[in-house]
Amino acid sequence: MRLVEIKNLSKSFNKKEVLKNVNITITSGKIIGLLGKNGAGKTTLIKLINDLLTPTRGEILVKGNKIGVESKKIISYLPERTYLNKQMKVSETIDYFKDFYDDFDSEKAIKLLKDLDLDINQKLSKMSKGMQEKVQLVLVMSRNANLYILDEPLGGVDPATRDYILDTILSNFNENASIIISTHLISDIERILDEVIFIDKGEIVLQSDADKLRNKEKTSLDEIFRRMFKC
Amino acid sequence: MLNKLLKYDLKYMIKNMSVFYILAIFFSITTRLLFSLNQSVIINIISQISVGCMFAMVVNILINTMMRSWVRFRDSIYKDEAYLTHTLPVTKNDIYNSKFIQTLIFFILGFIVIIFCLFIAYYTRERWLLLKKFINSITTGLNFNTTLFVVSVIGVIFLEIFNAIQCGFLGTILGHKRNNNKIGFSVLFGVISYLLSQSIVLLLVFIVGLFDSSIMDLFKNNILLDTNSFKLLIILAIVLYLIVIALMSVICKKEFNKGVNIE
Repeated sequence: MRLVEIKNLSKSFNKKEVLKNVNITITSGKIIGLLGKNGAGKTTLIKLINDLLTPTRGEILVKGNKIGVESKKIISYLPERTYLNKQMKVSETIDYFKDFYDDFDSEKAIKLLKDLDLDINQKLSKMSKGMQEKVQLVLVMSRNANLYILDEPLGGVDPATRDYILDTILSNFNENASIIISTHLISDIERILDEVIFIDKGEIVLQSDADKLRNKEKTSLDEIFRRMFKC
Repeated sequence: MLNKLLKYDLKYMIKNMSVFYILAIFFSITTRLLFSLNQSVIINIISQISVGCMFAMVVNILINTMMRSWVRFRDSIYKDEAYLTHTLPVTKNDIYNSKFIQTLIFFILGFIVIIFCLFIAYYTRERWLLLKKFINSITTGLNFNTTLFVVSVIGVIFLEIFNAIQCGFLGTILGHKRNNNKIGFSVLFGVISYLLSQSIVLLLVFIVGLFDSSIMDLFKNNILLDTNSFKLLIILAIVLYLIVIALMSVICKKEFNKGVNIE
């Protein structure tokens, strides 16, 4: 089933075109790696899907709906930065998500926070940036969404926690949902990817099944990425 | 969803404003207590400090409500918190309305706190009668119902403040459209919107003046208005401000609904 359809999407900032005529279809039940170098347009594409940027041209449909209230009900988005109100306690952020998202499972969130040794009575302002990012990941993954969009979820996290986060991601989404993970830490996420989208200079240069691509090139995705984007 | 957004906006404001409310009430109580003591040089000095602190807090309540409303608007719509605000399953109109209603509620609350503080610090039966007498002397001269006069004047002041607040919102929206993260444009567009809204009000008053010579006298002569013209001017100010606020609100929402670009 088609979950996201992106048609002829372009985005310019002033006169600089950072996304050029992007066409992508994302189906249900897949873990998709959105891969590209820094500044390739990954975050811009993700922000457009999440209504944080306005397209210059083209359209995005999520389950047939334009970006808006209906699409936001089924997308769970983890941005690359901390965005929660720092004055809040962790428990208050749980209440906040519970208030706004019908698909939010607060019991799951509390369990995951305990697993990560995070105190729900602590204020976000008293937490380190890494801890705040973990709280955000837990909140996002505690939704029973149709599409999870994770922008650099491993960026600021130590290698030991990366595996836990990937396991958390894998074990906390339903089989009919899809996940888009944007990262340049390909070796860390390679094992979980079903599909890859390579983006470079605002253009989609490759969209393929991960296994097929590995078999075709007879090497890892990490190596394919290095070859493709060699400076 | 508007009620949920409003709940969190009000929580944010009460967390930030309550300290000023508490301090204002505290200094109004100390003022009252110090004035009730036998006056000596030292007590007199402390009393004056207390009065100064109380008025500083009163002014602070007004300025802080305005500034915090703008800052809250900018932070939750264009800064890091925007990543949450714009991904909530709510309409942009609800986001805007929540910010506006929150400001409205806190101006009314701030006004009540200020009146309460003044009451604590200065109320005596004699002073109350003196104030009533003063207002009565004005309303009798103007042939105006006292309650209606007080409500009308407060109403015009509130509408003027809301207009200024909304111009700040419009300035923020237009400023970010023009150039993200540079506050200068937001301030510039805010000031321009405010001057424009005031000019519209003035122009509309002038147009009414074309049909009412006493109103036109405001533009031509330096004389006091007669009773009927004053009443007309008050009603006119309320109606015109309501029109301008509604117009600004439509422009704000239209621009906001065109979408944002969060850097």
